[in-house]
Amino acid sequence: MIKFESVTKIYGANPPALDNINLEIKPGDFVSIVGPSGAGKSTLLKLIYAEEAPTEGTVYFEGVPLDSLSSKKLPKHRRNIGTVFQDFKLLPKKNVFENIAYALEAIGASNAEIQENVPQIIDIVGLKEKSHLFPQQLSGGEQQKVSMARALIHRPIVIIADEPTGNLDPISSLEILELLLKINELGTTVILASHDQDVVNQAAKRVITIENGRIVCDDNCGRYKI
Amino acid sequence: MILTIQRTIKEALSNFWRNSWLTVASVSILTLSLYVAGIIYVEIISANDEIRYIEKRVNISAYFAEDTPENEIISAKENLLQLTEIQKIDYISRDQALENFKRDFADVPAVMQSLEEIGNNPLQASLVIKANEPTQYQQIADYINNSAFKEIVSRINYNEKNKEVIENLNKNIANLRRAGASMGIIFALITILIVFNTIRITIYTHKQEIEVMRLVGASNGFIQLPFIFEGIMYGLAAAAISMLMLALTFKFGVNYITPIISSGAPSSSFFGVFISKFSQLFGIELLLGIALGVISSMIAIRKYLKI
Repeated sequence: MIKFESVTKIYGANPPALDNINLEIKPGDFVSIVGPSGAGKSTLLKLIYAEEAPTEGTVYFEGVPLDSLSSKKLPKHRRNIGTVFQDFKLLPKKNVFENIAYALEAIGASNAEIQENVPQIIDIVGLKEKSHLFPQQLSGGEQQKVSMARALIHRPIVIIADEPTGNLDPISSLEILELLLKINELGTTVILASHDQDVVNQAAKRVITIENGRIVCDDNCGRYKI
Repeated sequence: MILTIQRTIKEALSNFWRNSWLTVASVSILTLSLYVAGIIYVEIISANDEIRYIEKRVNISAYFAEDTPENEIISAKENLLQLTEIQKIDYISRDQALENFKRDFADVPAVMQSLEEIGNNPLQASLVIKANEPTQYQQIADYINNSAFKEIVSRINYNEKNKEVIENLNKNIANLRRAGASMGIIFALITILIVFNTIRITIYTHKQEIEVMRLVGASNGFIQLPFIFEGIMYGLAAAAISMLMLALTFKFGVNYITPIISSGAPSSSFFGVFISKFSQLFGIELLLGIALGVISSMIAIRKYLKI
């Protein structure tokens, strides 16, 4: 479903952020990408949602080389993907419901769809009682759940989570992980970038280790090793 | 589609009010530009009206020797009418001329008295010729001077001065247009710069929203539209305000604007011109305002909205 073919990414005159990456992710996979800060995890994810283009090589998504997509088709590509970030990226002036609804508005969903789907997803992430609250009235874990709900609302086939537990306490982190696992069980591919050992080990799924822009380990043992 | 437009308008309206100081700055400079454009427009229109009024009064008269039989004058008239340059010829007989003269000088006893002393009619018959274009009088005068009936024409009162006046007026209008255009371009550039900056800052303050929109796969149009709409709203607001300012200026501040030509023609009031051309001027202001707003937005979007 996602394939990296000899992908290299270089920013300016710096050493490569990614160096000759070959990688395949199958539908329904749960893949953890680990490695120290600056190893190239985020760059790898950005290549998937086409925020960045590779300097060399090709990234395929469902068989389509991403560099062939025009800027007009990029939005459509991104609708296949839900993204979750360490800093949540919630809009502070919108409440929980509106934050999630906004993602649907942006892709042109009807008001009826919004009224039907948003409460459902809020229920799934367990924030039913808090849908009228604003981000600053929520804990970090709750905010991350809102951002996950927003990532899921348009039913993407892949969820990309870039350090989703980076700002969270251990208990909230495990809650988020459980949610990701639940989503994965329902058939959505999950790509989780993290340097949180506990989270990755708890997941016990395929782990890809990146160091200095290279894949140093890709196995199914589910152990975080650096 | 309707949904997108609805949401776009909602978004643009809230931007418009939330960044109130920036909005004030953008709308003011846009208003100022349109105001200047409006003044120049009305100046040019009324100057054109003046010229047309003056042109209407310009004509050329050919006077015939006192003993010329009427039929010869008529045949000269027929001959002249074949010229395409000529719009109209009025024949004024000697009796008619005398009547006109008496009417014009009825309250000047000295003139009337001397007329009586002369006894007979001292006036000549004439053809009053009106050309299509003021530039054609010289040609017509030349034609008469070389015509078969030049013997019976005693004089032509073609006045070089008329021509000069008209040429001067035309030159003035051309100058005004040129000055107006260069001023317009300078104002337009300043306007684009300031509105562009406002939209840039709006884009900056909406960085988060834009990022989220891109991540969830909002179409480029959906992301751009609110900013373009904002530009349109600046244009609408500026057009309305500048029209109001123009109305007030022409109504109450007329003493401070100098008309470039004034001949005392009935149409020479700026306010009159403003009212008679109101919808046309409003249309121009709207178009100009919206165009400037949208162009500035597009530049800002291209530069700062990486999509």
